[in-house]
Amino acid sequence: MSPDMKITKAAAAGTMESSDVYVEIQPAGQISVQIESVVFQQFGRQIDQAVRQVLEEHGVTGASVSLNDKGAVECVIRARVETALKRAEGGEN
Amino acid sequence: MQGEFLQQLYQSPPAGAARRRLEAFLQKQGLRYDQGVEFAAVFYDSQGEIAAAGALQRNVLKCVAVDEQYRGEGLTASVISALRAAAFDRGQRKLFLFTKPHNDRMFGEFGFYEVARTGDMLLMESEKGGARCFTESLRKGTGRQAAVVANCNPFTLGHRYLVEQAAAQCDALHLFILSEDAGLFPARVRMELVQKGVADLSNVLVHPTSDYLISAATFPTYFLKEGQIESGAGGALDLTIFGQYFVPALEITRRFVGQEPLSPVTALYNRQMKEILPQYGVEVVELPRKEAAGAVISASRVRALLAEDRLEEIRPLTPEVTWEFLQSPEGRDVVRRAKEGL
Repeated sequence: MSPDMKITKAAAAGTMESSDVYVEIQPAGQISVQIESVVFQQFGRQIDQAVRQVLEEHGVTGASVSLNDKGAVECVIRARVETALKRAEGGEN
Repeated sequence: MQGEFLQQLYQSPPAGAARRRLEAFLQKQGLRYDQGVEFAAVFYDSQGEIAAAGALQRNVLKCVAVDEQYRGEGLTASVISALRAAAFDRGQRKLFLFTKPHNDRMFGEFGFYEVARTGDMLLMESEKGGARCFTESLRKGTGRQAAVVANCNPFTLGHRYLVEQAAAQCDALHLFILSEDAGLFPARVRMELVQKGVADLSNVLVHPTSDYLISAATFPTYFLKEGQIESGAGGALDLTIFGQYFVPALEITRRFVGQEPLSPVTALYNRQMKEILPQYGVEVVELPRKEAAGAVISASRVRALLAEDRLEEIRPLTPEVTWEFLQSPEGRDVVRRAKEGL
């Protein structure tokens, strides 16, 4: 658990290769999550939950997150979102 | 899959042998290397031959191709990922992808949505419904509505004349100023001069074009083989987008255009306009150009005079706003760049 994280700039993480997910994050007034996934029918809700959970764990209250998922497993999704968040915070280039 | 291939990223246009090989590879795939390319991602196989490639020009992904023997190995995903990452690094958020129509489903899987297509070209964008969203956000007029699309690089008395004539023949005139920052005068300046310069015409609505009219995305040349430019594939996509999005959103029934005695590219575009726009219920009206000192007033004439430092001859060709701008510090900077450009 980190203290509240403020999203200050747009950032991306991941790729569109099979079993990966491409994540883009932009600053926003509130949380919004957009998901494109090859397994949206089966796992759309779980992916959405995983993303929101990562945001919550980092105390993010404003961010627009979009995912293009190529069948990544949950730990990959969480890792990619977390990386994008850290980049968007300005902690990494 | 990427492990079997060597990924090479060219942060500036590839040169020398790498460039020649990329050109040859694209040609084999029926594509043309575009002069405007700013970044390229190339994947080499274990023999050092190109297996896949893709390029970026501003916010447009293009020249994406995979060699036949390597299809089905996920290389397209690697190319698109590399291009998206590069675009993101360069601050490009809204992306376009230019390809052939039969690739629509493949690129749909990578988060691109169709904007428009012609017989041999397909333009996609990363923002779902971006074109519709943009055109619907534009201020609407009432009654009989018409459009003019112009660069105004810079705004001259010729533009002013065209706008006056067009505005007198309709209830609302939508005047689109190109947003692409490619010419001598920055887009922001061109927009400002036009807004001030037509402020007295109450039925003229000035709009930006964003990426959707005459931009790097809508006016591509890369599928064009030499000679095809003559037959005029150049403006077809652009005009199709105008017809499909701008016309219904703003209820446009006429497009006014100045006669083009000088530029062959614009003359061709005007001819294509008369072929394509009537399909969308739009009448194309060509207006004669205003003349001064025995020649038509054109922005290119003004730029040529600027480059030759013949400022006093520009005065009778430009409205007060443009003339005043040229005296300002920013304007003097533009004049200096014009002179250096020649």
